[in-house]
Amino acid sequence: MAPQKRMMLKADVNRIYDEEVYSEQKIREEKFFVRPTRQRKMKKGKLFSVGMGLDLPFCIIILVLLIIGMIMMFSASYAYAYYNQGDSYYYLVRQLIFAVIGVGIMFVLSFFNYNKLHKVAPVVLAISYLCLLVVLVLPGSEGVKRWIPLGIFNIQPSEIAKFAIILFFSHWCSKYYNKMQFARYSVLPGVIVFGSTALLLFLEPHYSGIVIIGILSVVMLYIGGMQTKYLGIGLGLIVGVVLILAVTNSLSYAMSRLDGWGQALEYTTDEMWWTTYQTRNSLYAIGSGGLWGLGLGQSRMKYLYIPEPQNDFIFAVVVEELGLVGALMILLIFALLVWRGITLSLRAKDKFGKLLGIGLTSQIGIQVVLNILVITDWLPNTGISLPFFSYGGSSLIMLLAQMGLVLSISRTANIERQ
Amino acid sequence: MQSPGLKNNSKKRAEKGPAQRLRQRTAILILLILVLGFGAAVLRLTYLTTVQSSELQESAVDLQLADTTVSAKRGTIYDANGNVLAESASVWQVVMSPVNFKNDKQRQAAAKGLSEIFDLEYNDVLDDTKQQSHYVVVKRRIESDEREKVLELIDTLKKDYSCSGVIQLLDDYKRYYPKNSLASSVIGFTGSDDQGLEGIEYEYDSYLSGTPGRIITAQNARGTDMPFRYEQNVESEDGNNVYLTIDETIQSICEKYMQKGVEDNNVLNKGVCIAMDVNTGAILAMVTTDGYDLNNPYELSAKDKKKIKSTPKKKQAEAESAALSNMWRNKAVADTYMPGSVFKMCVASAALEENLVNEKTSFTCTGSISVEGETIHCSNISGHGTQNFVEAISNSCNPAFIQIGQMLGAGKFRQYYQGFGFSDKTGIDLPGEADDEFWAEGKMGGVDLAVASFGQNFAITPIQMITACAAVSNGGYVVQPHVVSKITDSKGNVIKSVDKKVKRQVISDDTSKKMKEYLEYNTERQGAAAGYISGYKVAGKSGTTEKRGVTKFESSFSEDYISSFCGYAPADDPQIAMLVFFDTPDGDAYYGSQVSSPVFINIMSEVLPYLDVKTSYTDEELGYVDASAGDYTGVSVDEAKTAVEADGFTATVKGNGSTVISQIPTVSSGLQKGGSIVLYTDSDSQSETVSVPSLIGLSPDEVNDVASAYGLNVSFSGATTSSGTSSSQNIEAGTSVSPGTVITVSFADSSSTLNE
Repeated sequence: MAPQKRMMLKADVNRIYDEEVYSEQKIREEKFFVRPTRQRKMKKGKLFSVGMGLDLPFCIIILVLLIIGMIMMFSASYAYAYYNQGDSYYYLVRQLIFAVIGVGIMFVLSFFNYNKLHKVAPVVLAISYLCLLVVLVLPGSEGVKRWIPLGIFNIQPSEIAKFAIILFFSHWCSKYYNKMQFARYSVLPGVIVFGSTALLLFLEPHYSGIVIIGILSVVMLYIGGMQTKYLGIGLGLIVGVVLILAVTNSLSYAMSRLDGWGQALEYTTDEMWWTTYQTRNSLYAIGSGGLWGLGLGQSRMKYLYIPEPQNDFIFAVVVEELGLVGALMILLIFALLVWRGITLSLRAKDKFGKLLGIGLTSQIGIQVVLNILVITDWLPNTGISLPFFSYGGSSLIMLLAQMGLVLSISRTANIERQ
Repeated sequence: MQSPGLKNNSKKRAEKGPAQRLRQRTAILILLILVLGFGAAVLRLTYLTTVQSSELQESAVDLQLADTTVSAKRGTIYDANGNVLAESASVWQVVMSPVNFKNDKQRQAAAKGLSEIFDLEYNDVLDDTKQQSHYVVVKRRIESDEREKVLELIDTLKKDYSCSGVIQLLDDYKRYYPKNSLASSVIGFTGSDDQGLEGIEYEYDSYLSGTPGRIITAQNARGTDMPFRYEQNVESEDGNNVYLTIDETIQSICEKYMQKGVEDNNVLNKGVCIAMDVNTGAILAMVTTDGYDLNNPYELSAKDKKKIKSTPKKKQAEAESAALSNMWRNKAVADTYMPGSVFKMCVASAALEENLVNEKTSFTCTGSISVEGETIHCSNISGHGTQNFVEAISNSCNPAFIQIGQMLGAGKFRQYYQGFGFSDKTGIDLPGEADDEFWAEGKMGGVDLAVASFGQNFAITPIQMITACAAVSNGGYVVQPHVVSKITDSKGNVIKSVDKKVKRQVISDDTSKKMKEYLEYNTERQGAAAGYISGYKVAGKSGTTEKRGVTKFESSFSEDYISSFCGYAPADDPQIAMLVFFDTPDGDAYYGSQVSSPVFINIMSEVLPYLDVKTSYTDEELGYVDASAGDYTGVSVDEAKTAVEADGFTATVKGNGSTVISQIPTVSSGLQKGGSIVLYTDSDSQSETVSVPSLIGLSPDEVNDVASAYGLNVSFSGATTSSGTSSSQNIEAGTSVSPGTVITVSFADSSSTLNE
């Protein structure tokens, strides 16, 4: 009797391990969160398809973040805008226009069959390289070449590069999913693609871009199935290269940014005072916020103390105005976004969709974490923007477009519920 | 059964491997991002907004607020009658907000302008213009002419450099001392930041200084106006006013005669005079001679400057600061001296209090006494012979007092020394009070006791001596001396009032009364040498101390001396005690009776009437009481004659007119009864003159006779008892004067001897 009972248990266990059964069960449990689905099947080959419904919670989270981000961007920027542009609404108006365009693109792309990207991934990567090369030819400003001016707005090639890397590795890893344990299918493309992109970014120079692309490459290859030992070796190599560069002093720009890192409050020389000016004022703003904040619109450090408060350091103003409590609520919404984005991607029908969705969602989480660690002086000040909050038209549109892709993935994820 | 199951299981897991791997790795990814990443962010944010919050907020506020200090008006110092001794007047200060400079051209222009106006170093000002600050003080306490120039500079900067909000003029205050050097050692002065440095200004700085106000403006990082700026003003709170017990009139009387005493006796190390209300301990006057101008406290006297110039270059700075601190020094509280015979009043009180002596106790003086093998001389080498206790005090007989000291013994001596308050600071509200120097307990030998009995070989401060004298006079109560009577806020509300504070009763009222008698006897007997003032009962004791253990000045005497006199009046109802001492006189005399007593008399003669102390003449004195002449002009000769006689004078009519057109002396007081008033009836008669006779070396009666024979009037000063001898006259013999002119004649008591 006893053995039989045990077998039955094992059968149950096996059944639970079965991926599809598990998914179905989970989906049933999560029904409450999901928009009532339409019973139509997505037609293959069509560029846009209503298909299954998009994931409403994820969509709502995006819109909520966008609205909060917009309000805070306005609050952070109006004094700066008034003084520098003569118009307090300067940044708000522009960001609003881009947001409207971006949300439009997001919803259009949510109908897009992301599988079309599977084949064009190498092409997108090629375009990314092209942009990275073009920007190097352009004159740039103050020795830094990061933007391609396109009249009404600028393109930041590193934004494209991030997307291209995620897309390419999603394509590669899903295509060779079963061969990923071999180094030539995982380590080799990783080194080639990341290495070449990093080299081009290094020439801009755009170190925070390298860091983010490096992390994204590792994330993609890791969930793509690369053996963990290669991951360790890869990380070791990166650290080694950075050390060699540091020793040979080729990282002068990066080092100058690292200078004063973690010492924003203990400056001793005038030079250090200026180097750590932005970070120090950011810390003052965060400290001033305390638990409950000074109230919306009440930030004092935004009055030109924090240079460009609408950009990378916007969250310092957010903490100053909304306090730790407000900051934690916003972080919670970001966390929900990451959680929801990744879990819904896992339900995608194909590997490519899963990897793409996870990659695009992780990117947001990684940027949020890096941004906050920078403004709190735990990481050197290297210019990492806060998604949905920081001012910037092209990056906002890029971000919303990527969210559109995740929403499109969510449509196919819901198909399985039939 | 088990192994197939396991096999089956692992086989299934292998099939599901890739999907499973993705799921697991995604879970790890989520964990890394949400737990590690977000966790770190949350931790860091929590730390900054809680633990480090206040520190960061403070720094932020410092950064955001342009904080401008507004000087508070320092309180006024008044004398006992509400006369201003020190006050602050409005002037301006120049401050700069260097953050508002936009370029180096503006900085250079401002630095050039400011350095020219205020004679500052151009580079120093230029450095100031480069500071990242909203508030840099360029110059404090500027007067209106400089203010005009600054206003011009502000205009120029605005017009030629379009530079504004950089230089500002703010209110400031400057300290003025309207009486210049009056009571300088007591009042003290203030420093560059309006902080009290000496005297009352230092001691009561916390009351006087007030609270500076602030103008706090929230500004953006460029220090310019924003549509969102806010401003907060914290009003400055004016300082409190301090009322002194010191009376300007008494103080000036004391200073006048003390300065005269210093000059007459060529005093080498200043003189001190303290006048105290014996009942309350209120200081009415406190003088350290050679005061300095409080409006210019760093200006040394010509003598000091000369001295410094003659010192080697290297030591000049040192010599200058030594000279300054010596000039500022309030000798009345900060210096100690040996009290000498003045101290005998305390020893005598103690012996009386202990019933060891009475007025009949007799002492024999042979001119010296041997104590433990050492011979100690009396000031009177030939000896005072047999004398009773009262005579011993008046004789200031050292051997007698040595015997009294021996009766007391070292223990009781110390007990009374402490009782009179010599072992503690008096607690007077002035800075720098010195400690006494006395033998440690059990260290006072027989010889020490002997010499201490006449006030030698230990040192006390003048303020301790006057406090002890007050205790002898007021029934034995040791009061705490004080110079401040009350403190009011700027609106006049009293916030602190100083009441009489009695520390203890050291001798009984009875003993105190006896001491008054004995000391008054001393004054009566010794006359001018012991503070005798006609019409007032004075009790006092002189003292002359050989200075020991201090650097000798180059006086022409074999020793350096301190000549002092301490007494109180009126003896029957003591009100005011006064100590006069001169440190190292180098003139004709050095005895306290010769140097200090006359000064005491001069001061008291003016102070007592000022204090409305009732005169009480002896019958003998009444004979010489002053009379006052009225105005007899404008009436008929007969009427005038009657009026003159009614006032106790004789009338001499000159001329042939029917009405009196003028008179000599004119309306005046201080005349001797029976003097003659000359009434002129026509102008021709006014040209008559008489030659002044010599009135020196005569008794008061003789002076009166001679004067009336010449048709002149006399006014007496000094000890006008029948035994007095006139010592000087204010108009020299042989001078031609109009008949009736008043000649002031001073008297010294011929019976006085130098009993120190």
